[in-house]
Amino acid sequence: MPIGNAQPSVRPVPAGRTDGAPAGSAGRRRGAGPRPVRRGSRAERFAPYVLVAPAILIIVVLRLYPLLLGVNFSFTGDGERNGTTVGLDNYLELLDDPLFRTALSNVGLLVLLLPVAVAIPGLLATFIYLRVPGHRFYRSVYFFPAVLSPVIVGAIFNLLLAFDGPVNAGLEAAGISPVDWLGKPGVAMFVVVGVHIWATFGMALVVFLAGFATLDAALLDAARVDGASLPQVIRHVIIPGLSRTIAFVAVTTMVGMLTSMFGLLYVMTSGGPEGSTYLPEYYIWIQQGQMNRPALASAASTVLFVIMLVVGLLQVKLLRRAGGED
Amino acid sequence: MSRVRLSRWLLAIPMSLLALATIYPLLFIANVAMKTRRDYILDRFSLTDALRWDNISTAWNSVGMDRYFVNSLIVVTSSVVLLLLFGSMAGFALSQLRFRGSSALFLGCLAGLFVPFQVIMVPLARIMADTALIDTYPGLILVFVAQFLPFTVFLMTSYYKTIPREVIDAARIDGNSVYGVYRRIMLPLGTPALLSVGILNALFCWNDVLMSLVMMPSADHRTLMVGVTSLRGQYSDDIPTFASGVLIAAIPVLVVYLFLQRQIADGVAAGSTKG
Repeated sequence: MPIGNAQPSVRPVPAGRTDGAPAGSAGRRRGAGPRPVRRGSRAERFAPYVLVAPAILIIVVLRLYPLLLGVNFSFTGDGERNGTTVGLDNYLELLDDPLFRTALSNVGLLVLLLPVAVAIPGLLATFIYLRVPGHRFYRSVYFFPAVLSPVIVGAIFNLLLAFDGPVNAGLEAAGISPVDWLGKPGVAMFVVVGVHIWATFGMALVVFLAGFATLDAALLDAARVDGASLPQVIRHVIIPGLSRTIAFVAVTTMVGMLTSMFGLLYVMTSGGPEGSTYLPEYYIWIQQGQMNRPALASAASTVLFVIMLVVGLLQVKLLRRAGGED
Repeated sequence: MSRVRLSRWLLAIPMSLLALATIYPLLFIANVAMKTRRDYILDRFSLTDALRWDNISTAWNSVGMDRYFVNSLIVVTSSVVLLLLFGSMAGFALSQLRFRGSSALFLGCLAGLFVPFQVIMVPLARIMADTALIDTYPGLILVFVAQFLPFTVFLMTSYYKTIPREVIDAARIDGNSVYGVYRRIMLPLGTPALLSVGILNALFCWNDVLMSLVMMPSADHRTLMVGVTSLRGQYSDDIPTFASGVLIAAIPVLVVYLFLQRQIADGVAAGSTKG
């Protein structure tokens, strides 16, 4: 189909369908017509760059550049000191702010709860893999909340957990005194994390099941023939065999808890009661949107980024170690 | 053997209870949406005595859910189309074409995966304000595309890697330009991956609240999820209408899930195993 280009070469086919190519380079190429081109015409050689350009441009301009901008911004002042360099002032203020300290200690709580958030889908995936009666049904039911928005999940649980709501009514009927699930500082954070786990364990479940697909079924059969009990099978066959998957789920679950609980916090507690359910992402949003302290918010963002980096590096290390064990 | 059987059946009990706990909240909200206010206050648990759609139509018409719904639809559709276009273009180039700097560019795309929106929220909002894109559809669309592009490029690249190079070579011999190969070969061959990634991206964008809240804050421009959060304040004493709003926001996802459950799960699994 080439037009106006009679090259003997078989491989590169320059002209004709360069629909997406920049007009300029196409013109120049036609001018250089008879020159034998070994690795394709100019437009062809540029094609890969043209294809990746939109993606690279968007990622660099709207993700990587803002990161630098934000770090830079965190060393400047807010309000009257807008634009002036203030050194570490914002970071010192963060350390002084009880709300931010709560946010950080809540991150610690998330880390402590991480094993639970990984173990639940892991166990359920094991049972499904071992073909508990109705395993297909469970699989699709469990995954369902994972596709719902945190906003919807939060709104539903707001109703369920309201002080005069159905959960407390149920407790009362059973003779247990009602609990102010979302209004009690020591309780609210656990409730929100619990709802988050309820809403997301299906994702991890699917990842675990994908991991199980790579597990050597002969090993399981051998263990069973040897009379191993279920806990023994889990400990000696499944956990070592799935170490990579477990590491991956641990990291993605941690990242999920750090970056996708905003919707729940916003709908269920608004950071309350008494600021007890703050997380860094909520703090950033409050400082940026409500308090008009963008530079302080940037400092909090940088702290969050460092936390994420630590998680990311841990992932690389864990995955490498898990890979080495195989 | 029978002992194993028995223990399996025993396991099925907690698993069914958990399944019930997973489904119940949604049934509860659907039930509440059908009730009258009086019924709800008198008894929260009882099944509604009739399928009443008044609350739903109130939520749809007078609260502005219709408007929010259209806003979400516009933003999500445009974002997904752009994500699939840019993601497949880059995925094709990075997986099948040899060119200088390709691995550096791939790493650059991946780096985007490690920058969550929360971390760049402040400077990004500022960039959008400086370019007058804040509180506009294109602004939120760009933010969505930037958010989910690294993941999309990554998945498309690993999918296209599985296509043998001979297919592309043959198409080139047949006289296709690089762009022709993209359009005639890679796009059609990529359909399963595009479908899976597209649905996942649609869900992510549809369900988002933080980006929408920061980038399109005004009442006219609220997306559906932001609209649901605003419902709560307005209808705190009219729970059935509130529940109807929540139900309206959940129904599209419910329908997508019922029909495309497989693709969604495949997408999630692909993201994990190709890491």
